[in-house]
Amino acid sequence: MSDYLIGVLSNIGMIAFLALSAYVLLVTGSISFGQQAYFAISAYGSGIATAMWGWPLWLGMLWGAALAGLAAALVAVPTARLHGLYFAVATLAFAEMVRLLLQMLTWQIDVDGTLIGPMGSEGFREIRYIYAHDISAVQFMLLIYGLLGLVVGGLTLMERTRLGLALRMIGEDEIPAEALGVNVAACKIFAAALSGIIAGIGGALYAHLITYIEPALFNVMLGVHGLAYGLIGGLGTAVGPLLGVVLDIGFLESVRAFAGYRMIVFGGLVALLLIVRPRGLLDEVTVHRIVRRLIRSDHVAH
Amino acid sequence: MLVIENIVTAYGKIEALRGVSMEAQEGRITCLLGPNGAGKTTLMYTVAGILHARRGSVRLQGQELVGKPSSEIVRRGLALVPENRLTFPEVSVRENLIAGAYLRLTRDKAGVAEDLERQLVRFPRLRERINQDAGTLSGGEQQMLAVARALMARPRILLMDEPSLGLAPLVVEEIFRTIHELNAEGVTVLLVEQNAHMALQIAHHFYLLEQGRITFSGVPGALQEDEVIHRAYLGGSGASSH
Repeated sequence: MSDYLIGVLSNIGMIAFLALSAYVLLVTGSISFGQQAYFAISAYGSGIATAMWGWPLWLGMLWGAALAGLAAALVAVPTARLHGLYFAVATLAFAEMVRLLLQMLTWQIDVDGTLIGPMGSEGFREIRYIYAHDISAVQFMLLIYGLLGLVVGGLTLMERTRLGLALRMIGEDEIPAEALGVNVAACKIFAAALSGIIAGIGGALYAHLITYIEPALFNVMLGVHGLAYGLIGGLGTAVGPLLGVVLDIGFLESVRAFAGYRMIVFGGLVALLLIVRPRGLLDEVTVHRIVRRLIRSDHVAH
Repeated sequence: MLVIENIVTAYGKIEALRGVSMEAQEGRITCLLGPNGAGKTTLMYTVAGILHARRGSVRLQGQELVGKPSSEIVRRGLALVPENRLTFPEVSVRENLIAGAYLRLTRDKAGVAEDLERQLVRFPRLRERINQDAGTLSGGEQQMLAVARALMARPRILLMDEPSLGLAPLVVEEIFRTIHELNAEGVTVLLVEQNAHMALQIAHHFYLLEQGRITFSGVPGALQEDEVIHRAYLGGSGASSH
């Protein structure tokens, strides 16, 4: 496998976490433009843990994702009652706040004779854990996809439970959901925390693969992409957002013919799909149809 | 069975309900009439725990409901069929129905399956559409679905908020026949309606809500009925100046 291909696949995998985190909120009916904040919080949190405190990677990632989940839950408490545009603006404002705070964050300590740590807008270098521990690009890619598999599997299982039904009910209409006895506020805070954790896993992986992060990477365009992947790929299943990421990074960014025009094509694609298929390529109807066909062919096979 | 006393519910500084008191007696159909903006839906949301009362009390069989979460209210046997039906449009008819039994989904699978079957017997049209998304149903079918979904919670009292809204006359008759049947089976009904003529045909008792206050209470067939109907449609007492 070429380095280039490994790089593209790793990118797809990491951004997929961001797309899935936006998807979890989309399912509950909330459009967030701020998931990049949780990606950033965990990127910094896990980077600080491994590069400055010398923690092992798994613990650093756990810490980063937990921080991101906690931040998301805290944001959800005051924003749970906001809808539509108001929620979108609130999440966007929070994410910009996080980015600006990271620009001010300067904290370096001496690690084996070098100063390491975030340097405001100049960023945070030398998050070298995977190089110091001889983890190859292929191994790291497998780690990305292993975790991604766990998250997608977990979300798919969750969608079949009572909690999954409750989240979808809230996404459809909060009033009848509340009338049927769903604790809407608690479910929304749970969904937000879950989305923060998922974005956090992606952010932690990102910091360690790239080894250098800066606040400017986590600007609003990252959040817009994360959101758009779900809208393109579809809201019927957790696989939908992955399809969106593959289409954008795997196809638009990697095919040379689109070079320089990627954003134009991407923007056009989003606009077109919102008109033609407002709930994405893999929307609920398509997913039902596919599932039913799979069940039928299963019956035939037996 | 359901006793509402001096309920005040406000949106910010605006009091939509300004001390409402009324009662729904066990085994009966109680009807709440009133013009647009009188506060009928606000009252239904307050009783169901979706909105929170600022003052006052709602008691179901003697137990206070104000301040309780909606889950507790549903558990005590109160179910709301919201105005405009409010089904889950991108979710199948089956899942919509199952959602009605949300609180006992994990504990009582057999009971939920039984209740589902019972609703499909009652509303055969829903069985034909069981795998369709609720959003693809006609208005009347969606109203049936909303009623069936509420019944999945096994309510002792059913609150129905304008079930006839926007439906063809024949469908409205079907809905009212269903309400009548349910009542005959022992379900207490609190019915909010603008279609006063239809509602008064099946109601045992009715109230008139105007500008956040109960302004009239009586039994259908009383002398004042014409005026009440007039006010239910038009609001204000000016309608009586003939």
